[in-house]
Amino acid sequence: MKKKKVSTTPPSPEPQQISWTTKWVPWIVIGILGIYLLSAARPPAPRSAFRMTPFGQLPVLNGGRIKPLDTVARVSLLLISGKQSVRSQGRMPAIEWLANVMFKASEANDTRVFEINDPDVLGLIGIQQSKERFFSFNQLHPHLTEIERQAIQANNVKAELRSRFQRAVLNLGSKLMLYHRLQNTVQLADEKNVREGLLEFERKLGKAMDAHMKNMSSDSDPFTALAHDLDRFQFLNHSAEFNPLPLPGSAGEKTEWIAMGDGALMRSRLPLYHPGVLAFADMGDAYRNDNPSAFNAALLDYTSWLKERVPDDIAHARHEFTFNTFEPFYKSMVLYVLVFILAFCSWLFAPAIFNRTAFAVLLLAFTVHTLGLFSRIILQGRPPVTNLYSSAIFVGWGAVLLGIILERLFRRGIGSMVSAVIGFLTLIVAHHLASQGDTMEMMRAVLDSNFWLATHVVCITIGYSSTFLSGALGAVYLARRVWDPTWNEDAAEALSRMVYGIVCFSTFFSFLGTILGGIWADQSWGRFWGWDPKENGALMIVLWNVFILHARWGRLAKQKSIMQMAVFGNVITAFSWFGVNMLGIGLHSYGFMDKAFVWLMIFTVSQLAIMGLAYASPKTGDFQNGA
Amino acid sequence: MDKLERIVDRLASVKLTLVCLGLTMVLVVVGTLAQVHMGTFAAQKVYFNSFWIYQHGLLPFKFPILPGGLTVGVIWMVNLLAAFAARFKYTKRDLGILITHFGLIFLLLGQFLTQMLAQESQLPIEIGQTKNYSESPRENELAIVDKTDAEHDQVTSIPAPLLARKETIRASGLPFTIHVHKFFPNSRITMTPQLTSPATQGVGASMGVQEIPPVTTDDEINIVSAYIEIKEGDKSLGTWLVSSDLGAPQSFSIGGRTFEIYLRPRRHYLPFTLTLKEFHHDLYPGTEIPKNFSSLVHINDPAAQESRDTLIYMNHPLRYRGKTYYQASFGKNNTLSVFQVVENPAWLTPYISCTLVILGLAIQFLMHLFAFAKRRA
Repeated sequence: MKKKKVSTTPPSPEPQQISWTTKWVPWIVIGILGIYLLSAARPPAPRSAFRMTPFGQLPVLNGGRIKPLDTVARVSLLLISGKQSVRSQGRMPAIEWLANVMFKASEANDTRVFEINDPDVLGLIGIQQSKERFFSFNQLHPHLTEIERQAIQANNVKAELRSRFQRAVLNLGSKLMLYHRLQNTVQLADEKNVREGLLEFERKLGKAMDAHMKNMSSDSDPFTALAHDLDRFQFLNHSAEFNPLPLPGSAGEKTEWIAMGDGALMRSRLPLYHPGVLAFADMGDAYRNDNPSAFNAALLDYTSWLKERVPDDIAHARHEFTFNTFEPFYKSMVLYVLVFILAFCSWLFAPAIFNRTAFAVLLLAFTVHTLGLFSRIILQGRPPVTNLYSSAIFVGWGAVLLGIILERLFRRGIGSMVSAVIGFLTLIVAHHLASQGDTMEMMRAVLDSNFWLATHVVCITIGYSSTFLSGALGAVYLARRVWDPTWNEDAAEALSRMVYGIVCFSTFFSFLGTILGGIWADQSWGRFWGWDPKENGALMIVLWNVFILHARWGRLAKQKSIMQMAVFGNVITAFSWFGVNMLGIGLHSYGFMDKAFVWLMIFTVSQLAIMGLAYASPKTGDFQNGA
Repeated sequence: MDKLERIVDRLASVKLTLVCLGLTMVLVVVGTLAQVHMGTFAAQKVYFNSFWIYQHGLLPFKFPILPGGLTVGVIWMVNLLAAFAARFKYTKRDLGILITHFGLIFLLLGQFLTQMLAQESQLPIEIGQTKNYSESPRENELAIVDKTDAEHDQVTSIPAPLLARKETIRASGLPFTIHVHKFFPNSRITMTPQLTSPATQGVGASMGVQEIPPVTTDDEINIVSAYIEIKEGDKSLGTWLVSSDLGAPQSFSIGGRTFEIYLRPRRHYLPFTLTLKEFHHDLYPGTEIPKNFSSLVHINDPAAQESRDTLIYMNHPLRYRGKTYYQASFGKNNTLSVFQVVENPAWLTPYISCTLVILGLAIQFLMHLFAFAKRRA
């Protein structure tokens, strides 16, 4: 491939001597931000005398993995209301809401948490569409049978063919089901004195034992008295949303986690209740009766017992609790916005200071982003990309890393700018994807292979990152061409070479990722290529990058046309990443997103508009190479 | 020879490469969207495994509107070969390009061979069951089994497309001919007898057949049915209803021999038997998310003197006697395990070709990277 000779490397915009302010302002800014970040890593300030932090740190088994109660609370509230806190009562944190749901059903039932947006569903419960989006369980209670009936009907229709109403009512049905299960996990929703009930069960068991010894008939009083309790405990088992009680196995054996119902029933075989059974009973009773000291005592006793029996799970839960509290991806998202503002300012005035500060904050944001990513790897015990949510996190991470490298090489503030934009956008996408459920969910059997997850999936995601980066650079080119008074041939050439380099990188990784996927498929079900929608999407990215390379090589497109093609790569990648999931077929259908389709369309139109900039006249006139 | 040179030069042009790339992209988009309604199997056949894509309905005859996958593949192959003849430079600097494009030729060839030669079938097997055949659920055959000999069954298999032609079928070794009176590519069997039913023998006399339009989606299969008359010379033995929905063979005797007729998914017999001993379907505790599927099978192959147990599970197939057995799915409350059986002589080609392409890309891009770094230094 012949390369055009370029005169010099582009000059960096820094003055020869670095003044005091230019040197130290970035550090001061980093220092302030650092302090803010560290303070955010501490547990949240308590809102009452109830110690919600150790409560949120209690490990439980849910979705096949051990997680802190805090995660259960956040994910459940997110699924039901779309948010991780409750607006009413001054931003009640999720863990407090969960405590209400589990222990104080009557109060929880009045809290407006159920998010309903669909006007037809609102009509079903007799409410006109208004600004109010959140409804309480009590508002929905009179219509439960009808909602259930509609949901069952909607479930009989194939997923791709459901109407908007059917999807919405199914969604509401599953929210209500989750709520019902949470209310009936550690105790029955309406139970008032749980400890008393457990002691009563103990006494009944004793009487039944005696009756058994005396060979009394099984329909006599002592046995029938038990039947009601046994039903209640079985009901708890079936409704359990999580299993809170660990049965530590002998050395080397895995701990089994059981539901509350089973825990109570075990009393028939053991001389004492499992400490967790009584602990949750006491916590529930104390919480209901507004008795913080009793609550805290039961909680801390139980936590000590857990620390002795299942120390690894306690540590894991603590780590995840800290991760939840810190919200690293939200923090880095905010920092990326700051980088964008700083980079933008550097184009207007004091370029030296703003450029360096922007780059410094970018490095800080990237560090936080990386911390979050690595925490997830450790918490999940998996390579970084395991589902759509984590792919968004990683695409942003990869693109920002490449952008940082670009910025170091070219120092024009362009690298910082595009890093900030891509980092921010991908994290926003991730944030919305988080509302689909537990982001650290277990892998399905067919995807359960760390090797392929680490190779195929990571390569494909790197391919996404770099294609987005080249697209962003193409956008910068087209925008500067129209609006930047300092636009010249050198600047154009520099950007063009950046784009070319990144496109080469994209081609390599997207092709490698695609064929690794094919090899994985061949090893798993005997077919290297099956024209699966996700496979096709990946192929499109490879083909498009190759198209750009051949167009450039054959000199069949002007520089600005290449930039247009790079921007179009964003559209293709976005469709490959999300669009194929919306088709709902093939081996790659992870889930459904309605709103996402609208955003995908908006994104596509925006990219086409940017491509259209190429047809506007340039600010500083046309160049020789037709740019 | 100058004219030939010019033609080859034209065929090697980058413009043609761009056309191929563009057409492939269009095919991929259209084919992917079509899968939603057509099913993956049909969409593959129409868009990727065909030479042309035709438009129906607009005009009284069908005309091609797009080249299909095979045509684009051929043009691309010609473009690549021409490029090797007339465009590529055989210097050390272009080593990466040469390797990449050679790998690409190999990839296209390999995929074409796979399409032509690969055979996939399914092996559903229940715990305790022993089987010596796999099935193609979308292809049907009329099996005529000579059950006269207690030790051996002699199977004559007539593929369903032959029945569809509604001709007279003669097979060597069969003392009768088969005449197809009616053939239904997709049908529904009802328990109410039809007055117009030509069936005079077997269960067909008490059943009815309703023709319905054929389906192609992923989760539906066609029920193939036919009315066949069996004649010995000129003497008719009767007319039977055969259908892939009947679930059991029907039998008759002729000349002291007993035959069974059975319209069933096409079978591929194996030279050995497999017995399913155990099947495990593990879920993550407290969820419905599958953690692992595994089948313990026993291979009994007297000819190869093999009699051993082996475990087939996700990402770990059984490779035996030229075929590979993958854990595909399961059913009947975890008592039925389904294996995907694949025979593909061209299976190595993607591995080799992709290694070549990646190697070529790596060489090419690393060379660029070093040149760039040297300039910056």
